[in-house]
Amino acid sequence: MSHDSHHAPVADKMELAPERSDLGLFRPDRTRGLFDWLTTVDHKKLGIMYGAFAMFFFLVGGVEALAIRTQLARPDNDFITARMYNQLFTMHGTTMIFLGVMPLSAAFFNFLVPLQIGARDVAFPRLNAFSLWTFVAGALVLNGSWLFEFAHLAGWLDGFAWHQALTYTDFAPANGWFSYAPLSGTFGQANAALQAPRFTGVGTDFWIIGIQVLGVASLAASFNFICTIVNMRAKGMTMMRLPVFTWMTLVTSILIILAFPAITVALIELMFDRQFGANFFNPSAGGQPVLWQHLFWIFGHPEVYILVLPAMGIVSEILPTFTGKSLFGYPIIVFSGAVIGFLGFAVWSHHMFTTGLGPVPTAAFSLLTMAIAVPTGVKIFNWLGTIWGGRIRFTPPMVLALGFIWMFMCGGFSGVMHSSAPADAQQQDTYFIVAHFHYVLLGGVLLGLMAGLYFWFPKIFGRMPNAGVAYLASGMVILGFNLAFGPMHYLGLSGMARRTHTYHAGNGWETWNLVSTIGAFILGIGVFIAFVNLVYTAAKGQKCASDPWDGRTLEWSLPSPVPEYNFARSPVIAARDVYFEHKHGVHKLAYENDGGEAGVHMPSQSWFPLLAGFGFLIIGFGMPLMSMGVPHAGWVVIAGVGVMFLGIWLWALEGPGGYMLKTPANPLGTTAAADAATSAH
Amino acid sequence: MSDAVAHDPDFLAEEVRRYHHFITLALWLAAITGAEIVLIFVPVPMPIILTLLSLMSAVKFFAVILWFMHLIYDHKLLFWIFMCGMVLAFATFAAVLNLFSADRIDTKWFS
Amino acid sequence: MSHAADASHAHAPTSTGIDHKKLIMWLFLASDCMFFGTLISTHLLYRKLYPTGFTDAEGHQRFVQNLFNIELTSFSTFILLMSSFLMALAVSAMHKGQVKSFRRNVLGVIFFGLIFLGCQVFEFTHFYHQGLTIQNSVLGSTFYVLTGTHGTHVAIGVLWLILLYFYSFTGKLTGHMAGLDVEIAGLYWHFVDIVWIVIFTAVYLVEYLGPSGFWGNGLPLAK
Repeated sequence: MSHDSHHAPVADKMELAPERSDLGLFRPDRTRGLFDWLTTVDHKKLGIMYGAFAMFFFLVGGVEALAIRTQLARPDNDFITARMYNQLFTMHGTTMIFLGVMPLSAAFFNFLVPLQIGARDVAFPRLNAFSLWTFVAGALVLNGSWLFEFAHLAGWLDGFAWHQALTYTDFAPANGWFSYAPLSGTFGQANAALQAPRFTGVGTDFWIIGIQVLGVASLAASFNFICTIVNMRAKGMTMMRLPVFTWMTLVTSILIILAFPAITVALIELMFDRQFGANFFNPSAGGQPVLWQHLFWIFGHPEVYILVLPAMGIVSEILPTFTGKSLFGYPIIVFSGAVIGFLGFAVWSHHMFTTGLGPVPTAAFSLLTMAIAVPTGVKIFNWLGTIWGGRIRFTPPMVLALGFIWMFMCGGFSGVMHSSAPADAQQQDTYFIVAHFHYVLLGGVLLGLMAGLYFWFPKIFGRMPNAGVAYLASGMVILGFNLAFGPMHYLGLSGMARRTHTYHAGNGWETWNLVSTIGAFILGIGVFIAFVNLVYTAAKGQKCASDPWDGRTLEWSLPSPVPEYNFARSPVIAARDVYFEHKHGVHKLAYENDGGEAGVHMPSQSWFPLLAGFGFLIIGFGMPLMSMGVPHAGWVVIAGVGVMFLGIWLWALEGPGGYMLKTPANPLGTTAAADAATSAH
Repeated sequence: MSDAVAHDPDFLAEEVRRYHHFITLALWLAAITGAEIVLIFVPVPMPIILTLLSLMSAVKFFAVILWFMHLIYDHKLLFWIFMCGMVLAFATFAAVLNLFSADRIDTKWFS
Repeated sequence: MSHAADASHAHAPTSTGIDHKKLIMWLFLASDCMFFGTLISTHLLYRKLYPTGFTDAEGHQRFVQNLFNIELTSFSTFILLMSSFLMALAVSAMHKGQVKSFRRNVLGVIFFGLIFLGCQVFEFTHFYHQGLTIQNSVLGSTFYVLTGTHGTHVAIGVLWLILLYFYSFTGKLTGHMAGLDVEIAGLYWHFVDIVWIVIFTAVYLVEYLGPSGFWGNGLPLAK
């Protein structure tokens, strides 16, 4: 660390003198606007960007869903081709899970975790930026497949020799979100160019490398968050005083680091099958396609809890706030969350009952799956216990959180139904399953995340969303959602298979399909209204106080928007729900004697996480190009690997840097001056 | 372990003690590997050999993580973090291996 | 003053007393257990299903025992174990602030790592000429991808240590953070070593048990 890099404390980073890193390059600390967003390492800005990208991809996935529902609105419809239909449901699932729910959860992790534990940033700020940009690279790769698909449909690729040589010309993924082998894999013997015949086109290669890159992003972020939560808690913030949302972030992150390696390896194996003629899942050479299912669900089942646990954490923050009571059974809620996470690794084969596992494994996985209902039920009862006898305020976040409990329970009930293997044999691959997981993922996770957005938006932007619009959107989402997915239970049990492009009249499916489509449009418009409401709020909404909800956790003690150093002086925590205690109880917040004129240490901004992420973007497009047979595409991949390593290498050599930022002497910033007198020590 | 600590005599004595542990351990690792190679050619029943091989592999594994990787000197949380991943991997893939068996596979596709 | 403030940030006490870098490395290694667990079990379950081995280009059935070269594998295993020993010494030297001793040991690690990689290249070439390819059998696919992925880990470790070696000449590799940085690289290197300890037993040694192999009869080979 070079000594000339240390400045006197400044009040604003724009007052810094230009500073060179250990590499001799100027650090982008004094940037505003676009360059500031591209080089930032501030967890709050990264969280906002995660949220913005996630909301955008939610809308993309939503449009894909509406196209699917329009196709299914009436029998024998030909609104979209069967091929496009396959691509739409594949990309809808993949987009919603990996580009919608996971990054929106990550947005909350980023923004809230350091604030809730009393830290000034995450443990590795530049790694955090790397996670964001790698996620963006993965998202662009996955959706870049659409560009090739449309170029192909428009005939722009017809002139190329490599295009004429392709056996299959589907450029967007069309295997479903779990890409089962052998459909996604190969068959027969590899030729001299080391490629075996395949069942699908290049879309599958886009999917493989896209998910691989997104996995890198999720893993990096999770290592960072575990480190942050375990290691950066403020004084007195013991593990059993952590807000439940932070606890669920910890459990989710642990699930990610232990579940994602399985899919990483499965994707490597599938990639070797497709690109280099290996035989991992090639049935003609003795490969076992069912191995893909095992490896996928060893990742895929924990993934379900990766999606839902953050939403449960959000709801566990909202219910106490709007009932004025502390969370009922805090230790039990935390323990149940951990048990759900642990059991999540022991039930993957319940997705595979119909593959014929044998009686003993089937019974074992069936029992373990039923066992998961216990900690989940415990959580539901604890939430009900929190509401019971409370002074409930039906604010928009509260309405959505209550919707979460109700809808998630419905999804849980149908889940217990197909934990029973004989029942599952009837329901496998029908619309009943579609109904189940949308009740859990949409009725559960989306409502929970929307509740979180409405709850923390005033903290993030210092502006309050319009309540009238929020109620309207919430009502439309809950109503439309039930209209769209409730009837799918009937459709499924009366035999309608999922992923059907169309169906004939006379099966008794017409009415419910039409109802479902109408519901889907109400739902889609509701989500759109909510997002417009939120985006408008971020830009022009009405300014609000720093603690509009009478919040309970540490983040509400800060001014809104939160200053870049978070805490002017580091807090000392004496109780759970520390800020509520501070306002209404006996345990007051105390502050350490740091910050002020001496300043707090801020990490330097950097270009290199973005550069490393850009390397992944090049790799991500290079691999499918290789698969297409585009000449010299292998060099693109090698160049991408080079850019990635260059980014990481320069990042390691530039040195962490950092500067000192002055903070107000008053620990609660400028907005809660009255509280300062009681809290100083 | 800043510069100040690096010249602390207790700290240096501790490092010297570790140094001797490392040398002893390296000799043991080499010896166990040698024994493993001899063992596979010894005519005793397979279950015995297999048990011994697993045991020796586990001993080497834990010796490296405990001494070379300092887990025995460090915070015990690190040990449990690693055990978490290792035990989960072992349990999951033991289950996967048992879920596959030759008599449940239809060979008509490839024979 | 600002230097002291910055130093205090670098040394900021963590909630558990564990350095961030050490904690995140152990988290990564826990995660990597699942990674190699998946690869090793893929290999083992195909060994269990097809214990016979593979069919070479002339159509002869080949047994794995006749393919493997236990002398070579034992040698490279020994080399990797000794590189781990030198790595432990390099970390110890850095903790004591003895940069020269660190350089000597880390050069040894790099040298042994390169020997290991050389043995692997030789082994791959040898097996290829014996008729085992990634395309002609599941054994080829699982074996090359498993040991190749391990080899890639070794290669990344060698690259990392080479960079650290040259970095030590810039004079910036000093003090507490240097000890930590070297220790982190060491953790990675030792992990690669313990993965090989498992591979050596589970992939190589068990193949020599019994005349018809350890895995029993299983299924016939394809074609």
